[in-house]
Amino acid sequence: MVAVSADGSPADGGANAPTDRPERDARPPTLAVVVALVAAAVASLAGFLAAPLGGALLGAATVGLVAGSFRRSHRLLSWAAGVGTVGLAVAGYRGGGVEALLVGGVALAVAWDAADHGLSVGAQVGREARTRRNVAVHAGTTLLVGALSVGVVYGVYLAAAGSQPVAALALLLFGAVVLASALR
Amino acid sequence: MSRGRRSSAVDAGGAADSEESDDEGSDDEGGGDGEGSDDGPATTERVTRRGVETGRWDGIRGAALALVGVGVIARRPGLVLLGAVGVGYALYASVGEAPAATLDVTRTVSDATPEPGDEVTVAVRARNAGDAPVADLRLVDGVPPALEVVDGPARIATALRPGSAAAFEYAVRATRGEHEWEAVTAITRNPSGSRERTTAIEPADPARVVCTPELAAGGDLPLRGLTTRYHGRMPTDVGGAGVEFHATREYRRGDPLKRVDWNRRARTGELATVELREERAATVVLLIDARESAYAAPEPAAETAVEASVGAAGQAFRALLDGGDRVGIAALGPVDCWLAPGAGSAHAARGRDTLATDPALAPTPSGDRFYRSLWLRRFRRRLPADAQVLFFTPLVDDAAASIARRIDAHGHLVTALSPDVTAGETPGERLVGFERRERLRELRSAGIRAVEWDGESFPVAVARATNRWSP
Repeated sequence: MVAVSADGSPADGGANAPTDRPERDARPPTLAVVVALVAAAVASLAGFLAAPLGGALLGAATVGLVAGSFRRSHRLLSWAAGVGTVGLAVAGYRGGGVEALLVGGVALAVAWDAADHGLSVGAQVGREARTRRNVAVHAGTTLLVGALSVGVVYGVYLAAAGSQPVAALALLLFGAVVLASALR
Repeated sequence: MSRGRRSSAVDAGGAADSEESDDEGSDDEGGGDGEGSDDGPATTERVTRRGVETGRWDGIRGAALALVGVGVIARRPGLVLLGAVGVGYALYASVGEAPAATLDVTRTVSDATPEPGDEVTVAVRARNAGDAPVADLRLVDGVPPALEVVDGPARIATALRPGSAAAFEYAVRATRGEHEWEAVTAITRNPSGSRERTTAIEPADPARVVCTPELAAGGDLPLRGLTTRYHGRMPTDVGGAGVEFHATREYRRGDPLKRVDWNRRARTGELATVELREERAATVVLLIDARESAYAAPEPAAETAVEASVGAAGQAFRALLDGGDRVGIAALGPVDCWLAPGAGSAHAARGRDTLATDPALAPTPSGDRFYRSLWLRRFRRRLPADAQVLFFTPLVDDAAASIARRIDAHGHLVTALSPDVTAGETPGERLVGFERRERLRELRSAGIRAVEWDGESFPVAVARATNRWSP
């Protein structure tokens, strides 16, 4: 016997609470999962080219992202992104190429972002609804931001190639962080 | 067409920002969605709630700085650059406020007066009336709680440029009652998704569906021997005009000749008159249990006991009215509902309306508190002295049984008609079923007739139960 109570009625207005009408499939949209998987694969490949151990860690991150998407766990996705970041750090420490590292970093960011976005869209709207445009716009924007960042950073790096020590780059970056904090 | 339109935004966060959306001109509005019915100034009410931080980019700064640190210490320019890209993402996450959803929403239903079980197609169209693009928009339509969405979720996630529109369609299955759609919930995020804002949008023309089932007569319904002085169909113990033999008595002047017992006259020479069983009408009040506990169903998608009761009451109403009895309707619940016993076709129409759309018998509970003794006092004051009560209740709590006994004790004959909504899967469910059967047994031993039905149709259950009853 199931009691149908007044406040138990499916309050569709609830924003974050995944309210489950029986007809709704709250899994993340397929497109989001596919984008996350492809981007994570790119990140793994780039990491592998930089340093095999880093690539292996990024591969583990890919598995984590897929598992997080299927189990609908934000926490698992965060852990996967963390493992991926460590993988990138290892690849960089082992002397991986700058280009491969940058591509890997942006691909990891896009992969995690698409997966996490997919989770929230799945929870609020569901897999069966029309979500393609939303997911595509979001993933595209993240990729664009990553490409812009890489463009600026890599441009500065090339312009200052060889002559500047790493500390100068770090100081440059410190300025960027201060700017970021001021903008908040 | 050019409609003047006001748009109001109430910011719960305190900063009252009221925007005036421009006159929408004659662009793509009203293209094929048939919303030209209201030419007056329509309002799209928008209530913006405070935006929240989603916190999804939390930790990106820490990760970026850690990468930079490792890069500086290990003298690896690649890692420093990677950290710089991370700072770029941190910047991206920190810019941009989640926009308020300045949408114009129209909603059209394909059929405003469907039959029960019909599929009603609902088309929702949302147009970005603001002058900024919305990068991440999720729309959830406020489907009435009693309607089940059968085709496609009533939701969409999209991105809208200024002036462009998104449309989606879904279908609901109509059920008995009057259903009004609630506000559309719009959830917007800034491009990075770090901030989120919820807006409730009330379309200019809130959709409404009224679904009134036809009442089908449900066979013959046995009543108990409490009747009025009107002629009807209930056999009584009063001698008079009728069809069934009751008694003979000695002839009195004025008795109709066709009732004289001529056989006896031939045999003995005495004049005697045959008395026939008089048939009279009864006054019946159909009492439907609509307390919150009665909104119970064996499984989430099944119909509730209130639905089953209302369906059966509709059949009983029609059958009794056709039989010449006077029938009224009352609801046992927090919302008042009383249709005094009556007869005639106007009364039949009123009864059909009451059963279909009365808020007291709505397909979902009202949520108000129910005061039993107050209700009982009012019910007894209204109940005609010669009325009997057909009490439709799932009997899932003791209160229902106690109310049946109390009404019976006040001299109104009660027949309990109980849809079985118990399930038998878990021990708890079996216990509830057992308790319900105990209540039925107690009612029967207290002299109250009880019929229960489960899955099978109501008239079949009544016919089966009637065989056991003495007239």
